[in-house]
Amino acid sequence: MISFLAEINQQVFGNFVTRIHAMKTLILDGHPSAADEDYNRYISNVADSLTEKGHTIRMLVLRDLNIRFCTGCWSCWWATPGECAFKDDSHTVCREYINSDFVLFASPMIMGFVSALMKKTQDKLIPLIHPYIELVKGECHHRKRYDVYPKIGVLLHKTPGTDDEDIEITMDMFSRFALNLKSECVLSAAMAQSVQEVSDAIDCV
Amino acid sequence: MQLTVFNGSPRGKESNSTLLMEYFLKGFHSIEGCASEIFYLNRVKETDENVVAFRNAEHVIMIFPLYTDAMPGIVKHFIEALEDSSSEEENPSLGFIIQSGFPEPIHSKYVARYMEKFANRLGCRFSGTVIRGGAEGIRVMPPRMTKKLFQLFNDLGRQYATTGRFDEKIARKLAPWNRLSAGRKLFMQLFRLMGLSNFYWNMMLKKHNAYSKRFAHPYKDF
Repeated sequence: MISFLAEINQQVFGNFVTRIHAMKTLILDGHPSAADEDYNRYISNVADSLTEKGHTIRMLVLRDLNIRFCTGCWSCWWATPGECAFKDDSHTVCREYINSDFVLFASPMIMGFVSALMKKTQDKLIPLIHPYIELVKGECHHRKRYDVYPKIGVLLHKTPGTDDEDIEITMDMFSRFALNLKSECVLSAAMAQSVQEVSDAIDCV
Repeated sequence: MQLTVFNGSPRGKESNSTLLMEYFLKGFHSIEGCASEIFYLNRVKETDENVVAFRNAEHVIMIFPLYTDAMPGIVKHFIEALEDSSSEEENPSLGFIIQSGFPEPIHSKYVARYMEKFANRLGCRFSGTVIRGGAEGIRVMPPRMTKKLFQLFNDLGRQYATTGRFDEKIARKLAPWNRLSAGRKLFMQLFRLMGLSNFYWNMMLKKHNAYSKRFAHPYKDF
């Protein structure tokens, strides 16, 4: 009886602990167009489902932000360390990114990869790492700037002309990206999966 | 041979890509009847003109630095602008030069796979991909350190002018190993112990009076 109570107690306490530390999830929506209704519905359903599970959701619709293309000036590495020299919305993206537990990169597949809008945004995340190079798993990678980085996942919307090889190539590039962003790419999902499946998978991260 | 080059460096004209291309074109122009034109993809406002230049081209080379383990945003932007060219019957031959700051070519292999598929997607004859690591800082290195590299790019251009594709032997010389050998790793650790491994970055940080702020973490308190 006592052990039974202890077990109940542990379960309740365990749940309590997970509830007070709500997972902060950032969704980066990289669709260049606002007109894709199925896509929009899918993304907002994933967000709602995660909110129900107790996640704190922050959604950044990248096409509504003013993000300049990276000019390769390296100011963020050697003049204003940690910050892009241009005052655009990439600062908001960087702040939200590094303060999240999990970041979901959502994009339609365009010409076999995520959108240019998404790629432009990825380029602007480099202020989050340090220019110094160190050995990681026997390879050269950048040193970290922050103690902890969010895990990442990729949610791809297949478009006509997208094949399995495109998905594989894209996911390979994101795994490499994760390695350089001191993270792990723990989720790859296509919008062919149900909203429930995707949100369950994110919740398990 | 008429060659059209798309320079995909976010730094545009003042870039390592430009420098490498300069030596490539020196070799290319040394063959009679070879001419070239260069377009800069960082001039995003000129995307329409760049697309027209692509459609009119006979042979195309795209050169770009590795950015967050893939092509820079401006290059993906150009790729998307070419979507409607997929159905064109007479697309140019297409080859790629991918350079990166990392010494190991392995970092660039993933986007190389994408670029080859992109060439096929457009129905272009694929003329090869050349990968070169360790290219950050070549503009400030003393000439003796870059002499061999520039010579190889010169040879690569001359060979390309006669065959219309990248010479595999030269490409292998430019990327002779995929990952760091045990010896190179040891060398790097020694460099690190001697405080030399980030010489270039420290030099640039000091030049911009930012050395003391180099570990800044502006978006989060630990």
